[in-house]
Amino acid sequence: MTGRQVRSIPVMGTVASVHVIGTADAAGLDAAVDACADTLHRADRVFSTYDDASDIRRMARGELLEEDADPWVAEVAEGCRRAEIETGGLFDAHLPGFFDPTGFVKGWATERALREHLAPLLLLPGVQAVGLDVGGDLQVRTSPDSDWTWNIGIVDPADRGRVLATVPLRDGAVATSGSAERGDHIVDPRRGAPATGIRSATVIADSLTRADVGATAVVVAGNDVSWLPRATGTSGLLVTVTGSIRRWIDGVTVDVNSRPTTAPLLTPV
Amino acid sequence: MDRPLKRIVYAVLATVSGLVLLFGYRTSHGEEISAAAAASTNSGVSSDSSGSTSDAQQSTSGDSAGSSSDGSSSNGSSGSGSDASSGASTSSDAAASSGLQDGTYTGDSVGTRFGPVQVQITVSGGSISAVDVIDYPSDNPRDRQINERALPTLISETTSAQSAQIDMVSGATYTSQGYLQSLQSAIDQAQS
Repeated sequence: MTGRQVRSIPVMGTVASVHVIGTADAAGLDAAVDACADTLHRADRVFSTYDDASDIRRMARGELLEEDADPWVAEVAEGCRRAEIETGGLFDAHLPGFFDPTGFVKGWATERALREHLAPLLLLPGVQAVGLDVGGDLQVRTSPDSDWTWNIGIVDPADRGRVLATVPLRDGAVATSGSAERGDHIVDPRRGAPATGIRSATVIADSLTRADVGATAVVVAGNDVSWLPRATGTSGLLVTVTGSIRRWIDGVTVDVNSRPTTAPLLTPV
Repeated sequence: MDRPLKRIVYAVLATVSGLVLLFGYRTSHGEEISAAAAASTNSGVSSDSSGSTSDAQQSTSGDSAGSSSDGSSSNGSSGSGSDASSGASTSSDAAASSGLQDGTYTGDSVGTRFGPVQVQITVSGGSISAVDVIDYPSDNPRDRQINERALPTLISETTSAQSAQIDMVSGATYTSQGYLQSLQSAIDQAQS
């Protein structure tokens, strides 16, 4: 039985879960978890839209110039601009009059915290894998020497106590966006109104920054899946409000017939 | 679609099953097309199965993403050999220029010594534009290592997933309150 150590960190209005597979030295683990927490708290202080004292709220009120803000603001703003281009405008942090990188920051900060503070634990003897899940968006890393594989559950948006699908992962990220927890809170930047066609979108990618932005973009796109051919390097699953499910690998939709016992040789889908 | 075409596609699917197994379940586009073409051409020449394997390897060796060379090279040749012979009953030339109807075709699950493998092809503009692995052996962790190209397996497709150990959970962002009722919370508490 592979050992596992778990810590939780209240942050960003949710809870972050740190999982370390194997046996980590307690002092080393505590220091890594603290550093992880510092990264996430700093992201919260700088980017929170709920906190009037955050850098981006002060910038929105004209009380703080970008050059005087935390250097992460410029880094995130640049990342958001790239994401806006890559998603063809489905993701947009630069809404009129107000820079709101909410759909970007959690994935970006989580990926950064894992890379800078948890991944180094893999160099310690006995540590096989590390994972960080912040409120349902997660990034994992596994030592190349380990045969550990993470089994990631994707929550059923119709019943949050159930898992709809599972996906094996060694190094990568899974992000899910949707209305299951907090209602229709994702705004379609093209219409300035909440996106409503997709109940839940899950994107699996190397990078949680990319997966998080991608999941938001899939929700915004709604029933128009013309983004799919551009989704190379990712796989995922979306559930529409009518309950139908679409899955894709590397930009191609995959439909799976139920496993037949006396099957026709070939079934056009 | 008429019966001979179906058989041709099935031959490609069966052969591709072996090849995909050989290449560590890669699912990208261009290289697999050449692999499929190489396979279908060679499947007509069933006596030359070793040549088929090496040809196909050459045609896809340029892109190493996602394929783990160890474990698949020696294992794969036997799987590919048997699959190639099973698909060899149909002629091969037609498959390369078959003018298939556009669409997505799912092959039967093919039993291999490593477990079932099932692939799907997407036909676009009359030629195969994508080959995807939709079922693969799940009992070997190394074989499951497909990372960002991993296809989420719906619980309804498997019976084992119901009781599978879940390590982490992805879902819409819960609030601090929501966390208390979340699956992730239950996992965290069970493990700590």
